Amino acid sequence: MRPVSSEFLVLKATALFVLWVLLSGSFDWIHLVLGGVLSFTVAWINSGHSPFVPKFRLWGNILLYLPWLFLKIVQASLHMSKLILNPALPIDPRLIRVETKLGRRAAVVLLGNSITLTPGTITAEIDHDIVPEGLAIAPDPDALLVHAIDETLARDVTTGTLEAKIAEVFKNEERRW
Amino acid sequence: MEILSVLFILAGLFFLIVAAIGVIRLPDVFSRAHAVSLTDSLGAFLMLVGLALHEGLSKNNLKIIAVLALLYIQNPVITHATIRAALRAGLKPWRREPS
Amino acid sequence: MKIFFFVVLLVLAILIGVYLYRVLQGPTIFDRVLGLNGISTKAIILLVLMGVVFERVDMFIDISTGYALLNLVGALAVAKYLEQKGLP
Repeated sequence: MRPVSSEFLVLKATALFVLWVLLSGSFDWIHLVLGGVLSFTVAWINSGHSPFVPKFRLWGNILLYLPWLFLKIVQASLHMSKLILNPALPIDPRLIRVETKLGRRAAVVLLGNSITLTPGTITAEIDHDIVPEGLAIAPDPDALLVHAIDETLARDVTTGTLEAKIAEVFKNEERRW
Repeated sequence: MEILSVLFILAGLFFLIVAAIGVIRLPDVFSRAHAVSLTDSLGAFLMLVGLALHEGLSKNNLKIIAVLALLYIQNPVITHATIRAALRAGLKPWRREPS
Repeated sequence: MKIFFFVVLLVLAILIGVYLYRVLQGPTIFDRVLGLNGISTKAIILLVLMGVVFERVDMFIDISTGYALLNLVGALAVAKYLEQKGLP
């Protein structure tokens, strides 16, 4: 029998129960009791690993960051559709290297997801660099490899405004890799 | 409200059509992935928000927002996995010839 | 309004056909995987739209959620497999 260690068991079960109510959408009490029993069982089985520590301030910061990202997505989408609809197809794809000094795994994940979500730039590698001859891959922990389709869209990533914004989101967290 | 929802759906449809043209026209996998990500990020958002506006205030709107959040979480992951696999398998990105 | 939704459904079906051309014709296997990903995104939108047309949104949106989750698992499995195996 595994020791039940998590002190946030009730909180985890509550989060699962809210998801259950959202997905089932019915409020008669058979569904509610079944959902409560199932969510508590799942939370209890999963309580051995991955401690669920809620960080409400961090989630609030991420929610405040999302509209800014959406504005960038709209700008990049308009630029990208102009590129595609141009009869001359003036694209110039390139692989660029983006240095990061974020130092937290969650921050790097958020940065990579934001870059990929913006049309025109895609994160290709997170912790490897590429050697030009024959395109071999070499490990390199502090740079992202990004494929960009155009110079203006590549400049959005390399100037570092995105990284500064994400560093502001994570500024209250202690540095932990 | 109806007019707003029609406008949103037409804008989303525009981005979906542009992405389909891009998938046909662009030269290699890496650039086609940019076109597909255009669909995933803005086209799906505008279409689903238009449908939610047409639906009015009900509990289905919460589910539509849940599907939207799911799309926004999973689509970058899929695109990144495909592109990384293509790069590691040894495909070379298309470059414009210096003329 | 109903006619407008039917026209949108028709356009989405034609777009799925365009992506299907890329799936069948793609030079490398990654083109095919990418085309299938685009088809699945459009299928999710099409399911929600179909629910609005038939006025059964609560049923169709559950189907689209399941479709999205299955697509995530399938695409990740194919990508990991191809990454280990290399170009066929």
